[in-house]
Amino acid sequence: MLRGPEARLRLVSGLLMLALLPVLGRLVLLQIIERPQWDAEVETLVQRSYALPVPPSGVITDRNDALLVGNQPIYDVGAEVALISDKLAAARELAPLLGRDVQDLLEDLEIEGYRWWPLAWGVGGEAAVQLETLKAERYYWLTLEPKWRRYYPEGTLACHALGFVNAQGYGFGVEAAQQRFLRPQPFERTGVVDVVSNPFPEELAQGGLRAYPGTDLKLTIDRTIQAFVEGELARAIAEYGAYGGNILVIDPRTGAILAMASSPTYEPGNYGQYSEAQRHLFVDPIISVPYEPGSVFKVITVAAALDSGTVGRDWSYYDNGAVEYGGVVIRNSDRQAHGYQNLQGVIDRSLNVGVATLSTRHMGADLFFKYVRDFGFGRKTGIDLTGEVAGLVRLPTDWDWTDSSLATVPFGQGIAVTPLQMATAVSALANHGTMMAPYVVAERHYPDGRVVTTPVRTLGQPISRATADHVAELMGNYVANRLENAQVPGYRVAGKTGTAQIPVSGGYDPVNVMTSFVGFGPLPDPELLILVNIDRPQNPVHLRWGTQTAAPLFQRVASRLFVLLGIPPMELVASE
Amino acid sequence: MSVVWQQSTHGVPRRQERLNQVTTRAIVVGALIATVLVGSYLALGALNVRLSREVWSLHAELATRQREISRLEIEIARLSSIPVLQERSVALGFAPAESIEFIELGAP
Repeated sequence: MLRGPEARLRLVSGLLMLALLPVLGRLVLLQIIERPQWDAEVETLVQRSYALPVPPSGVITDRNDALLVGNQPIYDVGAEVALISDKLAAARELAPLLGRDVQDLLEDLEIEGYRWWPLAWGVGGEAAVQLETLKAERYYWLTLEPKWRRYYPEGTLACHALGFVNAQGYGFGVEAAQQRFLRPQPFERTGVVDVVSNPFPEELAQGGLRAYPGTDLKLTIDRTIQAFVEGELARAIAEYGAYGGNILVIDPRTGAILAMASSPTYEPGNYGQYSEAQRHLFVDPIISVPYEPGSVFKVITVAAALDSGTVGRDWSYYDNGAVEYGGVVIRNSDRQAHGYQNLQGVIDRSLNVGVATLSTRHMGADLFFKYVRDFGFGRKTGIDLTGEVAGLVRLPTDWDWTDSSLATVPFGQGIAVTPLQMATAVSALANHGTMMAPYVVAERHYPDGRVVTTPVRTLGQPISRATADHVAELMGNYVANRLENAQVPGYRVAGKTGTAQIPVSGGYDPVNVMTSFVGFGPLPDPELLILVNIDRPQNPVHLRWGTQTAAPLFQRVASRLFVLLGIPPMELVASE
Repeated sequence: MSVVWQQSTHGVPRRQERLNQVTTRAIVVGALIATVLVGSYLALGALNVRLSREVWSLHAELATRQREISRLEIEIARLSSIPVLQERSVALGFAPAESIEFIELGAP
C-alpha cells in the first residue's frame, strides 16, 4: 500500500521514468544502432558537390604584351519555363539576343512537362550583358550559366603557332603544347550544402577555398612582324599563283621565333566549323610537314666539308657537268659543265656536281652523315609546340640506305626536313657555329605573380666559329655579287636559294617545284634569319626558281624587318 | 522558499536530502559557465556563418569582376587589333613610308 506522500512521489517518479524508457530506447536505436544508416541518408540529402565559378584560362600575348588569345565570358542560357507569365513577349525580346527565331524560341518556352529548358549555348558579347540586365530587372526565371570561350582578337594571325584545344583536350600549337600551364585549376568539393547548393559554413571554414586561373604566356612572336610577314606571304602566293608557302623569322642569337607564317590559314576561334576534309589546315607545315629542301642544303654540305678538314678554303675541282656515284649520275641543274670551280663558285652557281664531289670524293658517308645529324636533321628540335616531326634522314646504318644518298643528300634530295629544322641548321652558320634551340614561349606569368623566363638553350655546335663565319661570308658574297633581288639596301645579308623537286609516287613531279630562300643579316653579326618557302608556284615555268620567287620575297621581308627591329644600316654602324 | 527546501514541516523533520550551500553554489556557477560557453559558441557560430557567407559572396563577386575584366580586355584587344588599326590608319590618311632614313643624333 502506498503510504504517505513520499511513497506516492516515488510511484509517480517511477512511472515517469518508465514512460521515458521508450524514448531512451528510441534514442539509442537512432543514435547508436541505426546511426550509420541515417548518416548515409542525410549525406545523400545534403552532401553535394559545390564549386566556385570556373576561373579563366591563361591568356597568350606577343612579346610586346599585345593580346593574341584571351577569354571571352559567355553564358549557356536556360529558363525556368513554368515561372514565365508572358511567354510571347519574352520570346520576342529574347530571340534577337539569343540569335534565334521568335517562333522557334516560343516553342521552347511553351514546352510542357519540364520545369527548366535550355535556350541557347555560348552567348557572349553585348547580348550577354543585356541578358544579365534582363535577368536582374524582369526575367528572374532566366538561368545564365557562366562559361569561358577562347577568343582570338587577331583572327587568323599566327593561327598555326597559337593553335587551339578541343573539348577532349587535343589540339595544335601553343594552346595544346602549353595546356598544362594555360588550364585553370577550378575549385570543386563535395560537402554539406543548402537547397541552392551553397556550402554550409562548416564547409567553408575548412579553408582552401581558392580557384586558380591559368598561367599567362608571353610569346617570342611579334604581332607586327607576324602580320607583316603574313601579308607579304599572301601577296607572294597570289602573285605566283602558288599552292601555299611559309616564312619563318628567327633570332639566330637566341633561337627566339619572331614570326612563323604558313598559308593557307584557318580561324582557330572557329575550329569546330571546319569539315573533316579541311582539317589538314590545322597542321603547321613549319614543324609538321617535311619536304626536300633542295639547293638550300648545299651550304650545310660546304660547311661540313670545310669543318671536317677534308677540304681547305682554297679547294677547287674541275666541273665537267656530271659525277657518278652509287649507280646514279648527278648533273648540275643547268645541265652545263662549269670548268674549274672553288667553294664560292659552288655556292654562286649552285652546283650539284660540286657538293656531290665534296661528299663522295672527300668526306665519305660516315663523316658526311655525322654532320647531317649534328646539324639536327632527322630529329626534333624540341620546340615548345605540338606536332613537331623529325623528318627523314637515311643513315648508312639503316636498312633502306642506298649509296646514291651520299651523292643526292648534299644538294637536298633524298632527305626530308621541316622548315624549322632547315632554319635551325642554318642559324648555326649565322650564329658563329652555335645552333640555338628554337622556342616560342618567352615567359610564363603564374597567378601568384611569379614570372619564369624561358632559358635560352643551345642544340650544339656542329661546326667551328671560323667555319661558320667563312660559309656566312661565302653566302654574303653570293647575295652581294650575284643575287640582286635578295639584296637589302644599306645592309649586308647572306643567303642561299633553293628550287627543290617535289617527290611523287614513282619519282619527282615533272612540273611543280618548291622554291625557297634562307638568308640572314646583317653581317657580320646577324640578328635575323628568314626562311622562305613557296609551294608549287604557277608562274611561267622558266621563272619557277628560288631566285625568281623566294628571293624577292626575302628581300621585301628583310628590308622591312630590319627597320621594324631598329637595326641600323651598315654606314651608320661604320660611322659609329 | 519552496517546499522542497524546507527542513521541517510543522516541526516534523523531513528525510529528503539536504543540499548544502556549497553544492548549490557549485551548480549555479557551473550553470552560469555553461551558459556563457554555449552563448559564446553560438555567437561564434553565428559569426562564422556570417563571415562564411561573406566569403562565398565575395568569391562570387570576384568571379563577376573577373568576367568584366576579361570582357574589357578582349574588347580592347579587338579595337587595337592589326586589321582594325590598319583600317583606321588608312582612313586617317597614313601610308607605308616609301623610304626610311636613320638619323644620327649627336650627343646632347
